[in-house]
Formats: sequence, C-alpha cells, structure tokens
Amino acid sequence: MSAVIDEKSKLVINETSKRYSNTKSQIIIYGIVCALIFIVPSFMDNAYLLNKFSTYLIMGMLAMALSLSWGYGGILNLGQAVSFGLGSYCMAMALKLRTVPIHTGAEGLPDFMVWNNVETLPLIWQPFHSLTLAVFLGIAVPVVFAMLVGWFMFKGRITGVYVAIITLAILVVVNLLIIDQQRITGGFNGITDLAQLEVFGFEFDAYSSSAYYLIAIFLTLSLFLALAITKSKTGKILQAVRDHEDRVRYFGYDVSHFQIFVFAVSAGISGLAGMLYTIVMEFASPTFLGVHLSLSIVIWCAVGGRQSLIGAMLGAIFVVGIQGSLSESETFLETWTLVMGFIFVMVVLFLPKGIAGAFESLAARIRQKN
Amino acid sequence: MDPITIISQLVTGLSIASILLLVALGLAIIYGATGVINLAHGEFVMLGAYSAWALQTFFNMSLFESLIFIFIIVALLGWAIERTVIRHLYARPLDTILATWGIGVIAQQAIRLTAGGELRYVEMPKQLADSVLIFGVEISSFRIFVLIFAATLFGLTWYLMYRTTFGIKLRAITQNPEVASSFGINSNRVFGLTFAYGAGLAGLAGALISPLKSVSPEMGTTYVVDAFLIVVLGGVESLMGTVLSAIILGELSSILSFYSNDTIAKALVLLAIVILIRFRPQGLFSSKVRS
Repeated sequence: MSAVIDEKSKLVINETSKRYSNTKSQIIIYGIVCALIFIVPSFMDNAYLLNKFSTYLIMGMLAMALSLSWGYGGILNLGQAVSFGLGSYCMAMALKLRTVPIHTGAEGLPDFMVWNNVETLPLIWQPFHSLTLAVFLGIAVPVVFAMLVGWFMFKGRITGVYVAIITLAILVVVNLLIIDQQRITGGFNGITDLAQLEVFGFEFDAYSSSAYYLIAIFLTLSLFLALAITKSKTGKILQAVRDHEDRVRYFGYDVSHFQIFVFAVSAGISGLAGMLYTIVMEFASPTFLGVHLSLSIVIWCAVGGRQSLIGAMLGAIFVVGIQGSLSESETFLETWTLVMGFIFVMVVLFLPKGIAGAFESLAARIRQKN
Repeated sequence: MDPITIISQLVTGLSIASILLLVALGLAIIYGATGVINLAHGEFVMLGAYSAWALQTFFNMSLFESLIFIFIIVALLGWAIERTVIRHLYARPLDTILATWGIGVIAQQAIRLTAGGELRYVEMPKQLADSVLIFGVEISSFRIFVLIFAATLFGLTWYLMYRTTFGIKLRAITQNPEVASSFGINSNRVFGLTFAYGAGLAGLAGALISPLKSVSPEMGTTYVVDAFLIVVLGGVESLMGTVLSAIILGELSSILSFYSNDTIAKALVLLAIVILIRFRPQGLFSSKVRS
C-alpha cells in the first residue's frame, strides 16, 4: 500500500512542478476564487450569516499563512495561533480603550482592570490609544516574536520534529502567561465588550458587509503577497530548503535567513488575521492562542493541501464552514467532529498532499491521456 | 524556607514527577523505538481514566481490581491503532503528528458522545484514603502508592527492554531495521506490541491520576505536551534519562511554584526545556541520537 502511495506522490511532484511553472493560469484561478468571495454579500443579506462567513475567511487566511511556512518552507509550526492571538489582543486593546468605561467614565480604565484593583493603565496598554499604532503593532509584534523564535531555532539548525515540539511548547507558554497576567490581559475571560472599529468616521460593524469586505480585501492582498513570494527567487530557494536543506547550504546560502523570513511573513499574515478576527468576534480570548485552534489550523491546511496556498485556504473555509453550519444542532456538531477526525486520518494516510494535491494529480493524469 | 517546607516541597515535587513519569514512560518507549510522535498519547491516558470510572460505576470494581483490565483495554486499543493507521506512516514521522492528533480528536469525541462531556470522579481506594507523616510532613498515602507504582512500572519496563528477548529484538530494530530483519526479527509484530505496551502504560497512568484530578474528555491534552518535553529532554532511547528528567521537572515545578504560582512555574519550566532542546536536541542523558 505505502509503496503505491510513494509512486503516486512522486508522480504528483513531477506534475506539480510542471504545472506550477504555469503562473498565468494560477493567477487566473486565484483571481476567480477571490472574485467569488467578493460577490458573496450580494447574495446574502443575513447579517448573522455574513458575520459567520467572515470568520471562515479569517480561518482560511490562517491556513494559507501556515501553508506558506509549512508547505513551501518545510517548517511545521504547531504554534501558528501565537501570532494570531497576539494580533487579536493588539486590536482588542485598541478597541477596548475606545469604549467608555462604566465605572470610571471616559479616558478611564477598562472594566476588568477596575475589578482587579488596577489603579493606572499599565504601560503596555499606553500605545494602544492610537489606532494606527495598534494596527502597526498587531503585525509588528507577531513578526518580531516570530523572528526571535525563528532566529533561536534556525540558527541552531533545528529541523523537523523538534521545530514542531518547540513551537508547540512556546504556544503553551504564551497561553499560560496571558491567562496568568489577569490584571493586564483579562485572564481567562479575555478582553470583551469592545468598541466598533471606526476609521475616518466610517464604522465597520461586525454584522455588516463592510466588515466582510474589509476581510475579503486583506485576504486577497495576503493571498497574492504569498503567491508572489512563492514565485520569487526567495520562494524557489525556500522550496529547495524544504526538499534538501543540506544541498542549499552547499551552494553557499544561509538557510536560516530564508527560514526566518518565511516564518516571519507567515506570522505577520496570522497577526493581521487575528486583528480582523477581533473586529468580527468583538472580543479576544486566550482560546485564540489555544492548542486546539493551533492544531486545527494544521488540520485544515493538510486537508486542503499544504503545498497549495489556495488549497489550504479553501480547505479551512470548507471545514470550518461545515462545522459552523452544523453548530445549530449540538448532536450534529458532535458527530461531525468525530467524522472530521476520521476524514483527517484518511487524508493523512491516502492523500499526503491534501485535496488540492489529489486534484492536481487527477488533472495531470487527464492531460497525459490526451 | 524552614526544613519542614523544604521537605514538603521536595515530596510534592516527587509526587508530580511520579505522575509525569507514568505518562512519559509509555511515550518514551513508543517514540524511542518507532520515532512516532504520538499526540494521541494524552487520549490513551484519558481512556485509562474513563475505563477506571466505567469499571467502578458499572461493575463496582475498586481501582486496584480494575488496573489489570484497564491495561488490557487500552493496550488493545493501542494495538488496533498501530495496525490500522500508524504502521503506514513509519516512513513519514512528521505525518504521524497529524494522524495521531486526528485519532486523539476521534477518541475525545467518542467519549463525549458515549460517556458525556461532564466531569467524572473516581473514588480513591479506601485503604489509601488517609495520610502518613514522613519527617514531620503529612503526605497522602495514595500519592505514596502512585510513587511506588511508578517506580515498579519503570523497573518492569527496564527489565523488559534490557533483559528479555523482546527487548533485544526491539532495540535491534531501532538500531538497524535491515540487519534486524535479516536476522529473522519480525519488525511489524514487535512494533505492534511496543505500541500496545506503551498505550497500556498510558492507560494505567490515567487510572492512577483519576482519583487525584477530575476526569474529562480533554484531560489528555495537558499531559501530552509535558510528557513529550520530558522524553525529548531525557534523551530518546534512554529510559534512565526519562526518569531523571521527570524528577527534574517535578522538583523544578514544585520549587518554582513556591516562589510564584503554578501557572508561572509551568511556563518557566516549559521555557527552560525549550532552551535545553535548542542546545541539546539529543537530550540531556543520551550520547547518541536517532538518525
């Protein structure tokens, strides 16, 4: 059985490299998918559903970011949710400061700080009075954090399984710290009761098409940014690092620079996704940096196809979408989770390149016949 | 700190270490022998705890009586999982992370659908419900039992690995699969049994934890990360290393939590391990590393 799979995957590798040279058709496919995402609101005037759809798109963005570092860079990051959570907390802090606290009035302390007997606004909260600075930090903090972790791991030539273990452990550490620092972060409850995002007097209501379009725009931008990276020379070298790290090193490249780069870009996109998530969910919680979410991202990415940006993205949107549409009924959702686990094991066993990979090998076979 | 506090912190540390060792032992064997990152190990622990609960609730068995059944139940499950899923993935170690996580999700959900998602409680054996005084420190008898049990299981495992034919075969396969199979060792069968044994140990760990902590479908997730770090820290293929790193971790969390709190202690311990792995990926107590 496994020999058969190996043969198949070899075929897929050959065919994908041929196919991936065809950049133009790829841009067209990506463009069509993004266009489809943009026309969704014209068919749907249900604000509640639109809000749900927005969250699916954000999960798609996360899976796409992981595909960039995992599928192209070979870095299995089990702590992808760290950057997501950091981004979402940055946005939540900014939006929290825009509310008028009941206890202390305007310019006062956030409510949970009052409950925790905090007297003055902690220093770490000060920059978030400015929304511009908050948005900058929402991307910069995850990027810098990823660069530090990446520098720490890749300069020491840590690879494979150890990357997975270290990133997972770091995720747990950050999660524990956020829960513990209740006076600053709101602890278990996170940061709730946020103001709505308002830019130049324009309000992005979480339950409206404006928030949806905001997310769709950033999803499209980051998708094409990621595509551009994979097509660039850096992207090619990254894929070479993924396949044969040592050979790339023999050519005189500093492999760690490329790994740190893709790790940081992936974190930046996740941070952006985190900020958008806070806007549509209207809160930030430690579960955003939980082990469960972080490993779910890996699952979506693997099911969709880790070596295809759009595959990973659509994989996440569909899996989360099905989950979301079943969540009305408790028993359905429970059974679905069971089925999902089963499907996931099957995909790992029989479709190592995910559904996108299966499509590609199918297309290749059809082309071969003609 | 006065002497009594020091002793009490040290004993607490040993108690934490014994539980960590129970969970990590099974993982160490599986990872050391097969290279499989078994993220479902926490779920084996959870299944062991639920077996203890089910045997107590429906068959009125005390924890002692049920231990052997729990070992068999969870070992059989582990064996079945190895036969159906894991053995296709020996050539792709990173994918074992994904597949075993999927198995973990299935196990959690299956328990939630059958036993329910609410917390369950397992009664402590009556003989061990009291506590004893050691060096002027009061310690629960059950915790001492767990400590002795963990030490015994470790001894048994060590004997199995280094003093029996099965152990020799397993170590031969780990060192060189081709040569081992040319000597007529059936690696399929050995790996299956190893996985079953590791799973059974995890089941026992879950059963012994169950009277101390509440039993829930998610309980396994907390243990799996800790257990992994212990195994890696101790050095793959080094059983002694696993014990030592479990003791270090237990004592470290106990001492650190005296100075700050449990959460910060845990975060600091994890961070320390991450840094150690970065500089010694082969582990503290191992001279060679799996290639």
